[in-house]
Amino acid sequence: MRNPLNKRVFREIKENAGKYIGIFLILACIIFVGSAFMVTLRSADSSLKRQEENCMVEDGYFELFEKLPKEVEDAFASKEILLEENNYVIDNEFMGDTKVVVYDERKLIDLYDFFEGEDVKSENDIILDRLFAANHNIKVGDAVKLCDEEFKVSGLVSFADYTSLFKSNQDLVMDVKTFGVAMVSHDGFSRFDEGLLIHRYVYRFNDRSMLDREDELLKDMQKILLENGCMLQSFLTAEHNQSISFLKTDMGKDGPMMEVFIYILLAIIAFVFAVLTGNAIEKESVVIGTLRALGYTRWEMVWHYLCPTLLVTLVAAVIGNILGYTLMLEPFLNVYYSSYCLPPIDIEFSFRAFFITTIAPILIMVVINVALLYNKLVLNPLKFLRKDLKKGKQKKVVKLPDLSFMNRFRIRVILQNKVCYLILFVGIYLSGLLLMFGVGLGPLLDNYVDNIDETLPYEYQYLLKAPVSHDNGEKVKLYSVSTYSNKYRKDIEITLMGVEEESRFFAFDAAKEKDKAVISEPMAKKLHLKEGDAVTLKDGYLNKEYSFTVEGICDYNSSLAVFMDREVLNELLDSSKDDFNCLLANEKLDIEDDYVAKYLTRSDILGASGQLMDMFDTILKVFCIASVAVYMILMYILTKTVIEKNALYISFMKVFGYNSKEAGSLYLHATTCTVILSVIVCLPLQYISFVAMMDYITGMIEGYVPFYLPAWVYIFIAVVGIGAYFIINAFHVQKVRRIPMSDALKSRE
Amino acid sequence: MKLKINDVHKFYGEGDSRVEVLRGIDCEIEDGEICVLLGPSGSGKSTLLNIIGGIETADSGCIDIGDDCTDDMTEAQLTLYRRNHLGFVFQFYNLIPNLTVKENIEVCAYLSEKPLEINDLLKTLGLYEHRDKLPSQLSGGQQQRCAIGRALVKNPSLLLCDEPTGALDYSTSKEILKLIEDINKKYHNTILIVTHNDSIKNMANRVLRMRDGKIVKNYENEAIIPASDLEW
Repeated sequence: MRNPLNKRVFREIKENAGKYIGIFLILACIIFVGSAFMVTLRSADSSLKRQEENCMVEDGYFELFEKLPKEVEDAFASKEILLEENNYVIDNEFMGDTKVVVYDERKLIDLYDFFEGEDVKSENDIILDRLFAANHNIKVGDAVKLCDEEFKVSGLVSFADYTSLFKSNQDLVMDVKTFGVAMVSHDGFSRFDEGLLIHRYVYRFNDRSMLDREDELLKDMQKILLENGCMLQSFLTAEHNQSISFLKTDMGKDGPMMEVFIYILLAIIAFVFAVLTGNAIEKESVVIGTLRALGYTRWEMVWHYLCPTLLVTLVAAVIGNILGYTLMLEPFLNVYYSSYCLPPIDIEFSFRAFFITTIAPILIMVVINVALLYNKLVLNPLKFLRKDLKKGKQKKVVKLPDLSFMNRFRIRVILQNKVCYLILFVGIYLSGLLLMFGVGLGPLLDNYVDNIDETLPYEYQYLLKAPVSHDNGEKVKLYSVSTYSNKYRKDIEITLMGVEEESRFFAFDAAKEKDKAVISEPMAKKLHLKEGDAVTLKDGYLNKEYSFTVEGICDYNSSLAVFMDREVLNELLDSSKDDFNCLLANEKLDIEDDYVAKYLTRSDILGASGQLMDMFDTILKVFCIASVAVYMILMYILTKTVIEKNALYISFMKVFGYNSKEAGSLYLHATTCTVILSVIVCLPLQYISFVAMMDYITGMIEGYVPFYLPAWVYIFIAVVGIGAYFIINAFHVQKVRRIPMSDALKSRE
Repeated sequence: MKLKINDVHKFYGEGDSRVEVLRGIDCEIEDGEICVLLGPSGSGKSTLLNIIGGIETADSGCIDIGDDCTDDMTEAQLTLYRRNHLGFVFQFYNLIPNLTVKENIEVCAYLSEKPLEINDLLKTLGLYEHRDKLPSQLSGGQQQRCAIGRALVKNPSLLLCDEPTGALDYSTSKEILKLIEDINKKYHNTILIVTHNDSIKNMANRVLRMRDGKIVKNYENEAIIPASDLEW
C-alpha cells in the first residue's frame, strides 16, 4: 500500500501554490542559468584544450629587430625547442580605426580551427579571425585591403594564440571591435613592404614535461639570444600572453565563482523551505502528534514534510536543466562567441554541471531541511498534541523598554519571527549586492576612464623600433619589469618610465637617483605602497633586480609605472645615456613607419573601458532583473509566512475591536520596519563586499581600477528594495483585510 | 490482549513544585473488555492514558500488553508499540484536514500488515457515502466516526479513547458510544475510555475511578446497560 500521506504532498503544494511557485521560479532560474553556464563553460574549456593540443599553441614568442641567426635556431633545436619564424605586419587604419595584425603563413605552431571556408592557397588568399570578421561584417569571398594590399577572404578561423583579442598585452580589457588578426600565405606575405615587417619567433617545447622547468629553460634561451647579439624587442611566455592565457584564467575563475554563487543561493532557498516547513509543522502540530501517537515514526514524519521541498526541487532541476540545455545554451554560447575567439564548441555533457545543478540542489535541500526537521520533530507526540513545541525550559520573556503598546507589540512580532526575518535579511543583502554590481559597475568604469583622461598628459604615444627624434615629440625610455605581489600571489607588470628632466608632460620631478623612484597612483594603490616604502622590481630579461625607495606618488592613472630621470634609468639598465624608445606628443608626428613599432592615441587608451562595458552590458542587466526578482519573491514568501502564522491573532484583534487597517498595521508594520532597517543596514555590508569583490578582480587584471560608487547607487538600491517591499505589502494589506473574524470564534482545543 | 498496569508512578515539576500525579497505579484489564476510567479534572486519568498509549513515560512502573512491556523502551520501540498494539481516539478528532475520510482511515491502514477492509469499515461507521469528503464537510459526529475508523483500521488490540464524546451533543454522543460498543462486539478489542461523564460507566465491563493520582475504585460492572439506553 502506498503511503496515503503522500497524497497530502500535492495538496500542500496546491494550497500554498503562491509560495511554492515563487521558490520554484527562483530555483528553476538558478538551475537553468547555472546549467547553461556550466555546460557552456565546460564545453568551451574542452574545445579550448583540444585546440591547444591539435593546433600546437606556442609556449612563448620573442620579437627582434632583425632576422634570427642560424646559430640560435640550431641551439634551440639542440635543446628540443621547436622554433618557427612567424613575422607579421600591422595595419593600423583598417576600416578607419581598426588595428589588424597580419601574420605570415604558419605551418608548425599556433595553427587554427576553421569555422568557414578553406586555408590560404594563393598569394591573394587571406584567412581572418571569425570574431573580427563578424564585427566588421566580412564574409568568405569578400575582398579586404590591408597595408595597401588587396586579398580575398578564403576562410574564417580561430587562431590558437588569439583566443582573446588584446590589442596590447598591457591592456586591461580585450578589444573585439577595433582589433583583428589575419594570416596570408608565404607568397601573399612577401607582397608587403619589408619595412613594415616585425620579426617574430614562436617556440614550443617538444616534450610537454619541459614546461615544469620553464624558468630554467627561459634563462637558457635568453642567454643564447644575448650571446648571439640578438636585440630583443619583446619576450613573452604563453602564460603571460593575455591573448592566450586570459580566457583560460577567466574561465578558470568564472566556474568556481559561479559555483559559489549557486551554492549560496541554494542554501538561502533551503532555509526558505525550512521556514515554510517549520511553519507547517507549527500549524499541523496536532496532526503530527496524532500521527506519531498512532505509530508513525519520526523519520516517516521527516520524510513526509521533506517531500514538498524535494518535489519542488526535483521539478525545478528537471525543468531548469531542460531549459538550460535548450533555450539558454545558445545565448550563453553567443556570449562566449561574441567575446572570445573560441574554436567551434561541441556541447558536451558535463557531470560537474549535472552535479551542481541537479544533485547539489537536492543534497543541500535534504541536508539543511532534514537537520532542521529532525530537530523540530524531536519532541514527543504529547507535546505536539498539546501544541507545546518549545524545547527545554520555558524561554524567559525578553524585557522591552517602556515604549507604546503598539511598538512593543511590533517588537514582539519581530522576536517571534526572527528566523523568517533573518533569512529575509540575507536575501536582501544578496539581492542588493547583485543590484549594486549591476548598477555600480558602469559609474565605476566611467570614473576609471575619467581618471585616466584627466591625468593623461599626452595625446599620442609612439613606441619605436629604433631611436628617432622629432621636434614635437618628447623622448621617453620605457622598460617592462615586474614585482611580486604577496597579496595577489602573482607577478604584477610595471612600466619603468625614464622621462626628461624638464618634461613638457610630467609636472613632477622624476627621481634622479638610481635607488629612488616616483610611482604612479595606481601602482601605489594596487601594491599598497606609500612614500618611504621599499619596492623591488624584477627584470626578467636581464635577470636582475632593482630596489627603490618610493620618493613620491604622482597623478598618472593610465598604468602602473615607476618614473625616473631618463639618464638615470639608462644608467641603471646599462644603456647609452641618451637612449629612448618612445616619443610622447600632443599632435600626430610625422615619423617613418619603419621606425614605429606601434602607436597609441588617447582614444585607444580610453576606449578600453567602453569595451568592458559593452562586454558586461547584458550580464549586468540580468543581474539587475535577477536581484529585483529575488527581492520580491523572497519578500513575498517570508512576509506572507509571518501573516499566515499570525492569521488567528489578527482575527482576534478584529474581534477585540481593531479595524482591518489597525490589526494589519500591528503585524505589517513590524515587517515594514524590519525590511527598511535590513535594506539600510545591508548597504554598508554590500559596500564592504563590493569593495572585496573589486579587490579580487583587481588581482585578476593587469591594471588598477580605483573603487568608486556614487551616492545615487546606494539610494537606488534602497529605493528598489523598499519599493519592491511596498508592492508586496499592498498584496498583504488585502490579505489581512480578508482574514475573517469567524476564525477567532471557532471552537479550539 | 490483556492490559496490565504495574505500580506506575509519575511526577511533574522539580524541587518544591514537584507533584506526584500518579501514585502507584496497579490494575488489569482483560482482553476484550470495555473499561471506563472516570475521575475529576487533575485526578491523573489523562496522564495514565498517555502512559498506556506510550506517548508519555512513567517515572517508575510499567505497562504490559501481551508480551510487550513499556519499561525502558526506547523512542523507536515505543513507536513500534503504538503501531502494533494501539488505536487512539481524541476528543477533538484530530483528522488531517486535507485528506478525505477514506484517506484519513488509510493513514493508519498503511501502518498495519493486516488492516481491516476499509470499505467494510466505512459501512460499519456509516461513512461510506461520505468517504470522499474532507473533514471540514462533515458534522462533529461524523468526524469522530472517522477518527474511530482511523484508530480501528489497523485492528489494534487496545483502543484508547480520550473523552470521545467531549465535543459532541447528547444524541451524537450516544451514537458514538453505540458505535464503540458495536466495534467491541465485532472486533473484540480491549477499549479504554477516559471520560468525565459518569453515565458512560454503565456500558463498561470494568470501571476505574481515580482521585489524586490513585485508583480509588476498580470493579466489574454486573449490570451493563447498552449504549443506546444510556441517559444523562
